[in-house]
Amino acid sequence: MSANPEHTLTPAEPSIRVSDLTKSIRNGTRTVQILRGISFDVAAGEFVAIVGSSGSGKSTLLGLLAGLDTPTTGSVTLDGTAISYLPEDRLAEVRGRLIGFVFQSYQLIPTLTALENVLLPHELNAPAKEQAAGLQRAKELLAAVGLAERGDHYPVQLSGGEQQRVALARAFILRPPIVLADEPTGNLDSKNGEQVMQLLLDLNRREGTTLVLVTHDPAVAAHAGRILTVRDGEVVHDERRVVHDERRQTDTTLPELV
Amino acid sequence: MAALSWTTAARIASRELRSSRGKFFFVILSVAIGVAALTGVRGFSSAFRRTLMVRARSILAADLSARMFQQPDALQVAQLHAISSNGVRMTPVTEMSGMATAYNSLDPLLVSLKAIDPSAYPFYGTVDLQPAMPLQQAVGGDNVAVGEDLLIRLKLHVGDRIQLGDAVLHVAALVLSEPDRLSGSFAAGPRILMTLQQLESTHLLAPGSRAGQRYLFQLPTRDDRTVAKLKTQLEGILPEAQVTDYRETNPAVTMALDRATGILSLVSLVALVLGAVGVAMAMRTHLLQRMDSIAIMKSMGARSSHVLRIYLIQTLLLGLAGGVLGVALGVGVQLLLPLLLAKLLGITPELHIAASAIVAGLATGLLTTLLFTMPPLLDIRNVRPILILRRTVEDNADDSAIGGLMAKVRRSGAQIVAGIVIAAGITLIATTLSDSKDVGRVFALGLGGVLLVLVITSTVVLALLRRLLNRTRGSLRPVVRHGLANLYRPGNPSAALLAAVGLGVMQIAAVFFLSHALVKELNLSTQPTLPNVFLIDVSPSEIDGVRALLAKQPTVHGTVEILPVISSRILKVDGTPAAQLKLQNYPKRMLQTASLTWVDEMPPGTRVVKGIFWHTGEQHAQVAIGERMAERLHVGVGSRILFAAPGAPDHPVDAEVTAIIKSDGQHVWSRAEFLLNRSALASLPMVYYGGVHADMDRVGELQRELFAKYPTVTVVNVAQAMETLRNVLQQVSLVVQFLAGFSIFAGLVILASAIAGTRYRRIREVVVLKTLGATRSRIAAIFSIEFATLGLIAGFVGLVFANLTARVVLRQLDLDYHFLALANLLSLLGVAALTVVTGWLASFRVLGQKPLEVLREE
Repeated sequence: MSANPEHTLTPAEPSIRVSDLTKSIRNGTRTVQILRGISFDVAAGEFVAIVGSSGSGKSTLLGLLAGLDTPTTGSVTLDGTAISYLPEDRLAEVRGRLIGFVFQSYQLIPTLTALENVLLPHELNAPAKEQAAGLQRAKELLAAVGLAERGDHYPVQLSGGEQQRVALARAFILRPPIVLADEPTGNLDSKNGEQVMQLLLDLNRREGTTLVLVTHDPAVAAHAGRILTVRDGEVVHDERRVVHDERRQTDTTLPELV
Repeated sequence: MAALSWTTAARIASRELRSSRGKFFFVILSVAIGVAALTGVRGFSSAFRRTLMVRARSILAADLSARMFQQPDALQVAQLHAISSNGVRMTPVTEMSGMATAYNSLDPLLVSLKAIDPSAYPFYGTVDLQPAMPLQQAVGGDNVAVGEDLLIRLKLHVGDRIQLGDAVLHVAALVLSEPDRLSGSFAAGPRILMTLQQLESTHLLAPGSRAGQRYLFQLPTRDDRTVAKLKTQLEGILPEAQVTDYRETNPAVTMALDRATGILSLVSLVALVLGAVGVAMAMRTHLLQRMDSIAIMKSMGARSSHVLRIYLIQTLLLGLAGGVLGVALGVGVQLLLPLLLAKLLGITPELHIAASAIVAGLATGLLTTLLFTMPPLLDIRNVRPILILRRTVEDNADDSAIGGLMAKVRRSGAQIVAGIVIAAGITLIATTLSDSKDVGRVFALGLGGVLLVLVITSTVVLALLRRLLNRTRGSLRPVVRHGLANLYRPGNPSAALLAAVGLGVMQIAAVFFLSHALVKELNLSTQPTLPNVFLIDVSPSEIDGVRALLAKQPTVHGTVEILPVISSRILKVDGTPAAQLKLQNYPKRMLQTASLTWVDEMPPGTRVVKGIFWHTGEQHAQVAIGERMAERLHVGVGSRILFAAPGAPDHPVDAEVTAIIKSDGQHVWSRAEFLLNRSALASLPMVYYGGVHADMDRVGELQRELFAKYPTVTVVNVAQAMETLRNVLQQVSLVVQFLAGFSIFAGLVILASAIAGTRYRRIREVVVLKTLGATRSRIAAIFSIEFATLGLIAGFVGLVFANLTARVVLRQLDLDYHFLALANLLSLLGVAALTVVTGWLASFRVLGQKPLEVLREE
């Protein structure tokens, strides 16, 4: 273990620090090198898109950022906490506290209703006495993504776009400092995809979170202030850009969140 | 620290249960059938055992009998009274010979008298009288009951008077049967049944007269432990007496019941374990399907323990539901089987459906479900959230081999602990619930061993199959190749399924082999032609005539068993003179009346416990002794006994003990205490005993025929007792067959559901195959090949172990093991057919599904 996991946060520190990250997996008898020494920092509040072709290692990178997997070498530090080699249950706690996650295939729990799905991270991570406040926030978030009336529906009763909106609400319920999204529009048609993307950006702006998004869609990446291009397990390009998104300035259709 | 609340866990658990009702139906069914078999088989077999044991007791007419060779002294009488004050009932039976005449004639006839207390005797069974009347009415005052042969010989009728010693008695009834005729003495002469007061009034009972006295005892409770305790107590009080309990009187029944109990204990445990295996398989499949949900929850910050809650609740709910259903089924079985059997057997066992049995059933259901779902539940800890992003999580190619190894050990460590806990739990259940502690222990140990070997074998077989397939890949038809390749496809629970099916086959087949062997043995002791009429004191000049007469009788069936009997004395044992021998509960007086017989080879119904039985033509004097007698005389194989056979002077026979034997008590040979080879005895003076089987209700005819020609031959009718014995044994056999059948059926249902359970996860595969253009028949063919192969491998491995188990257990139970080639072959094919058919049935719905329905759900 290379860093003190309880390292205290100082304002100067980046929201995400990735140092010399490598990852190889064994597939049958072969060993595949997926990431080959990646390092970068993400500042608090920054919106970074990670782009790359299929198999370039971008989803693996995102998984490691979220502490969903353990790197082979190197480390990931989130808000000052080195997470990479924490035991599984400590990692679970860190994930709950620091990260909101949006997946390509929504990953809602099929046996929970939309509202219960949104509430789940809160139930798992917040103190019991805050459950009522959690429920209130879950309802507001559902309303914010336009699904106030669908809270009692099960995932199977929702369309793909609606499921992804539920997943968005779920990602923000705990007001995480960091939101990670893996091809959030990948399974949606362009209209639904655009709607979800806008909701994600709006929520991100209002909550003031750091957003890291993996995509292979240039249109999606175009929303980001910084684009990291990954190829064959390495960052080959790191581009900072000025984003002109009028909607980000003018949108008032979303209610303010508590 | 916040956590997934139990309420939320319960909500998720119950919704998952509801959403996959079909799958969980099989789980509940598995548990239910296991618990049902356990409570049903256990409850029923113990109730049946109790009922049969009561019938078995009727052959002794008591729980225990103490045969006295001298009158008890004052202290002994006081001690006996002390015993009876504890609720033990006691009644004396005196048997002796005497001479009777018809009241108005002088022709004397040797009779065998039996004096009883009609208000107590018999403790078990009944004395059948003709005309039917209570025993207290037929015996007592002036009244006596007599054997029909007495009336024939003295040309009397019921209602006539007879003179016996100083008493004149009135024949009130005919004795058709006495329950303890088989265990009493086979004295010559017709029976006269009377009271002790009447016997005293005859003044035949004088000091020095050869009267045999027995005390019969009845215990307030009917368990074998109390019987054994009282026996030890009585042996202490009456060191000279020969104390026998009802189990010893009926070696055939006791052995059969003991074996049946052992096998039935095994049968019920087998059903339970099969149920548990079914549960484990279903839970494993279920959790595999829930991997995504688990990974999602973990990525949201759920700890493994949170997720475990959900599945723990599910397991408990399933176990409880299965347990409740199982207990209901089990009670149903207990209520229903006796009705069926009552029609078949004409007896109804007393049934107690105890609350404790129900609680035990429920607890067992829950505990086994929890135990066997532990390994799949523990796997939850290994579900990595990265699953959501990447399917192939074969783990890190950790550069440090030690790190990888440590991770592996950590992971399997939990499973090893789980294995140990399961083994301990099963041992606990087996020893608590099994009627035989030994069976329970052997079962648990065997189960652990077999499961380990099965898992290893399955893994090896799969690896071999894979190698074989790699070599022959090009030359196989695609359907065959796909089918076989499916077996070792990642994620396919083939090894687990192979082990489960193998274990199932092993247990089911073992139950079949064991019950088959037991039933075969029981059939030998229930042959309808076993002797039920004994002939006593046939002289050598009469024997050929008697044989010829018997051969002509239409009422006589089967072989006539003839036994030469030589009365003898024991002079020395291993060089120690009889007077100095230390005997165990055997009066020295008995050494004066040893009955010897000779046989050319081992007679039917006999089994060698130790040593070797001689063959025809053996020249050296050899002797075979019953186990009990060997204990009393303190002799073993290699000891020498010096007998004095009659002659002038005594003809000494010095014989070496070459075999300790056990007899089923059903043949005439068991009447002789010492069996010797022919050359040792052939030239000595002897009388003959005979045993024949006659139609039960026509024994009287046979007696009359024999008496007309050979008036000195005594005919002892034990048809009634033999019929009781035969019935009991037949009932045991039927019950074993019934319950084994039930257990086999239950096992098959559970196996089928375990196989069916694995099919649910194949939907995706079917859909992909269909999308790629595979027809339903092609998919069915691929699955058939996969499942037939699985069935054949599992069946083969399972049968090998079933035969081994049967061999070991049968040896323990003193039964012969024979390899049943046809049964094995049919079982093997049957298992393959079962796996294929179950596979098809479970896939039927899957095969019919439209690809898009599934893909949309994905």
